[in-house]
Amino acid sequence: MDWNCAFAEERLSDYLDGKLSPAEAAAFSAHSAGCANCAQTVALVSDLVNRMHKMEMVEEPPHLVARILDATLGPRAQKAGWKGWFDWVPMLWQPRFAMGLATVAALLVVVSYTVGLTPAKLRKADLSPTNVFRSANRQVHLTYARGAKFVNDLRVVYEIQSKLQPEPEPLPVSNPAPAPNQEHNSQPPNTTPQQKSQTTPPPSRTQVRSGTMFAFLLTESLADSLAENSINGSTRSTR
Amino acid sequence: MEADAQLVQECLRGEGPAWEELVRRHTRRVFNLCYRFTGNATEAEDLSQEVFLRIYKTLASYKPAFGAFPTWLTSVTRNLLVDNYRRTRRDRQTDSIDDSMPQLEEKHSSARAPDKLAEAMELSVQLQRGLARLSPELRESVILRDLQGLEYNEIQAVLQVPEGTVKSRINRGRIELARILTEMGVRPS
Repeated sequence: MDWNCAFAEERLSDYLDGKLSPAEAAAFSAHSAGCANCAQTVALVSDLVNRMHKMEMVEEPPHLVARILDATLGPRAQKAGWKGWFDWVPMLWQPRFAMGLATVAALLVVVSYTVGLTPAKLRKADLSPTNVFRSANRQVHLTYARGAKFVNDLRVVYEIQSKLQPEPEPLPVSNPAPAPNQEHNSQPPNTTPQQKSQTTPPPSRTQVRSGTMFAFLLTESLADSLAENSINGSTRSTR
Repeated sequence: MEADAQLVQECLRGEGPAWEELVRRHTRRVFNLCYRFTGNATEAEDLSQEVFLRIYKTLASYKPAFGAFPTWLTSVTRNLLVDNYRRTRRDRQTDSIDDSMPQLEEKHSSARAPDKLAEAMELSVQLQRGLARLSPELRESVILRDLQGLEYNEIQAVLQVPEGTVKSRINRGRIELARILTEMGVRPS
């Protein structure tokens, strides 16, 4: 059979729903492959059908079922007595309420740990408003003191680090001419390998830095002890 | 889960919980059919209530031998929609379809990314506008086949037309809807 555009369009849904025989499907594909208009129509309709099949149902209004039941069975009697008090309980099983409850519970746990109320150590007296306030107040002050100490420590560390900064190395001089007074100290060019092995290698940069830091700390402590001794001595002499 | 036919028998014996179960089970399906056909959530709500009232009154006429309960329910819904369409033909305004848009079902959407959800919502609105521009015959055929997922023989039972007519309407409806959406600037995915 000769497939023209009108015939292909007529069988398009059969093709998309897989209701064509293999021979017909092959003929349909061959025609649409050679016809730009039909190929475009097939692509558009196929995409639309796929999207509609994937589309989710719209949610009916929450009161619709109750409205229908009221219209058909008549207004239903409310549960009398204490049974009516628990009508809201089934709502808690809905995902949105369960998620909300879980979030609130997690928040309460975080807040209780922050104010120092751990469930293992919790006593009845901890729940009194005065104790809760004292505990929260203490926790706030502790947190502030820890923060202040941390900042002070950080300041000392930065101060030491800034004092331990290595001095900038001198820029290398191009074509250094040997100075006459340095010729004596410089290594003679014809030193033997044995002599070379006897000379100690220059210290690395980290060694220099750690050594400088040690020297600095030693100097500081010595200066402190000297100052203390001098103060003690002066007080003794005055006595 | 209890079969629909069993629930219908219990309803006919006057058992209220069986009717409540039937209503809960099929409300979404009926509401969706009404909403997609009318394009108006408030009207769909009223029509859904009317459908179940009619079902409740004529429940004794349902015979399982003639087809499944959902097919009968869809048939009643469709007849009521056609009646409503004819009744409100004069004062209908097709451009007010997106008032009180219901939310997309949240069963799967909670795990979705917000942009995907927004995209799905936008497509749903555009599809609704496109459907409103189709003739009622083509619209109902496309809705039953592609949005309600009915088979051709079920659609034939609902619409009471020959199978060839069903196929032709679905095919023309799909092609026309695709062209309308393209004109509206909806891009293929």
